[in-house]
Amino acid sequence: MNVAFLVNDLQLSGGVGVVVEHARQVGRHGIDATLVLARERDDPDWRFRGLGDVEVLSLGEARTRSWDVAIATWWETTSALLELDAARRAYFVQSLEDRFYRPDDPQRLGAALTHDLPLQVITEARWIAETLEELRDQRVLLVRNGISKDVFAAPAELPVRLHGPLRIVVEGNPHVWFKGVGEALASVRQMREPHHLTVVTAARDLDADEIVGPLSHEEMAALYARSDVVLKLSRVEGMFGPPLEGMHCGATCVVTAVTGAEEYVEHGRNGLVVDWDDPRGTSRALDLLARDRALLHSLRLGALATARSWPSWEQAGTMMAAALREVARRPAPDAGPAFAAALSDVRAAIEAQALVVSQRDRLRYRVAPLERLDRVVERRPLRWLLAPLRRVWRRVRPS
Amino acid sequence: MADWQERITRDTKPSIRVEHDLRYAAAAPVVRAVPTWCDLGCGAGVAAADALADADLGRVVLVDADADALDQAGRDLRARETVRVEADLATEEGVAAVRGALGDAPGAVTCFEVIEHLETFVPLLEALVELAAAGWTIVASVPNDAFWALENPYHHTMWGEGAFEELRRLLPADAVVARQVPLDGSQLVVEGDDGALDVPPVAPRADAVPSHFVVAFGPRAAELTSRALAIGSDLDGRRRWERQRESTLAVLEAELEELRAYVKWSSDELARLNAPAEIRDQTPETVARREP
Repeated sequence: MNVAFLVNDLQLSGGVGVVVEHARQVGRHGIDATLVLARERDDPDWRFRGLGDVEVLSLGEARTRSWDVAIATWWETTSALLELDAARRAYFVQSLEDRFYRPDDPQRLGAALTHDLPLQVITEARWIAETLEELRDQRVLLVRNGISKDVFAAPAELPVRLHGPLRIVVEGNPHVWFKGVGEALASVRQMREPHHLTVVTAARDLDADEIVGPLSHEEMAALYARSDVVLKLSRVEGMFGPPLEGMHCGATCVVTAVTGAEEYVEHGRNGLVVDWDDPRGTSRALDLLARDRALLHSLRLGALATARSWPSWEQAGTMMAAALREVARRPAPDAGPAFAAALSDVRAAIEAQALVVSQRDRLRYRVAPLERLDRVVERRPLRWLLAPLRRVWRRVRPS
Repeated sequence: MADWQERITRDTKPSIRVEHDLRYAAAAPVVRAVPTWCDLGCGAGVAAADALADADLGRVVLVDADADALDQAGRDLRARETVRVEADLATEEGVAAVRGALGDAPGAVTCFEVIEHLETFVPLLEALVELAAAGWTIVASVPNDAFWALENPYHHTMWGEGAFEELRRLLPADAVVARQVPLDGSQLVVEGDDGALDVPPVAPRADAVPSHFVVAFGPRAAELTSRALAIGSDLDGRRRWERQRESTLAVLEAELEELRAYVKWSSDELARLNAPAEIRDQTPETVARREP
């Protein structure tokens, strides 16, 4: 059985890393997996673990072959999926990717529409499976991401840390709005107890004790092992991997109740769940861990127990192999309901766009007198006379 | 050898045996009603014999990777025909051998506590789904290892709520799922009473953590019904089992200590032999002579 996993690129990202690992693992189960780049490469590939074990093809090369299963792994790769000669087509949904875009971003609609395609779906989180099953009458296959147990290795013993500052790790791109990195830094700034903050990011202009990254998995594991808490205040997540990786190395977590957290974070047992937009509450939770070392140790022990019960990549690969065989066995989904759903979503988008246009027109009508006034005051004599007023207005206007 | 109770015998801890007995008892209505029953990972067949000893069975196909256990299995069953298949269910060949032995008439397959032992369960799972589509009824179980975070050296995969959900989604949508939960109990018997005791109805707890997940799929899956089973505790047997385990562990630890000492001695000796001659041949006397 041969399978094409379509990826947009091989740049550093959790999503691509997951696909590379699955492609590598299913080989042990007699599945010949290939990574197909859905777009031209312009940057060097990130050195993902095991990437050398997997064949990588361009879309042009992949078009010349026949595939038992072709599988899109990111919403933008679904169009390339339809260009391949495949007996079955599937969609590995790692998040509801429309949520990565703000409501007025047109890409949001593009990502959402891909869920209407008549494709079999494999996903990595139960919440995604359940949401998609509510949206469409189709059984979704579930394969949770594994963890590299050799890299994120659990310590044989967890020493109690009675003294020293609370060692906090924040990871993520601060420029990605839904990662909540800014909120995490603000929360740490409000802490009263001694702490040491490490931020893992490519950005450098941040207020932290230590800024590192990008880091390899091995370096991340070493960082988690010397940390007490992974602080992650995301607004959108798929499977929510970083706190789980931290748990494997004996760090507890302070997280928002973001999607994916419900799969393994238990408030008061292996971590603390805090609210969004509540830096004060989050900083109090961190202070509590810094003060109450018995609680900290109990959460770290709970985190380690959770980690032990999580599947390895080998187990996840077995499950993915079973899912791919099931995709090949099941009949392709009926295109009729898919078209109906897509047309209905397009119709909804047209209505939403019409509303935006009508609101814009109404606003333009209301703004017209102001624009006329603006043109008048821009004329030279008036402009000179009104200059002091304009300076005052700039000083007092709300930002 | 440390006993993880992977193989059920007459000496197995009663609380583990009753769990196996209950699973076979739950499958018994299906097994009795079909012309062919296949028990995957049958072991010595102890629990199956307890549940089905009084049943007139048709064709029985017993499958295990252990020839000795397989030889004992099925001796206490009343079957028209018994076929024994020694097979590794982690391989395509092993699964094909079982399918070849099943015959044409659809029947039932029990697969209790097998999947977690397989290096890959993909060929077996695929075969079970295909058998169900062909009219066979499958009853299978996996343990809830994940809840205890037990790293059982005999289990290749770790099962829990999440992993079971993954499995469930690979099975037909109408699969019947049951959660097996241990019970606590006690009995009080007046001297002279030797009859069976009625156990009062057990109210299942909604939040009870299961010890095992059981799933049935295929045409007779609905015959898997809720039930409980109680057997008298064998405290003497349990004590014997625990002492045996303790003793085995102590022996293993002693052997490990000896092995470690041997490895250390070998490493030291190797280092000494590889060292330069003046160091290799030195004795306390030569060292003392060199010191001022």
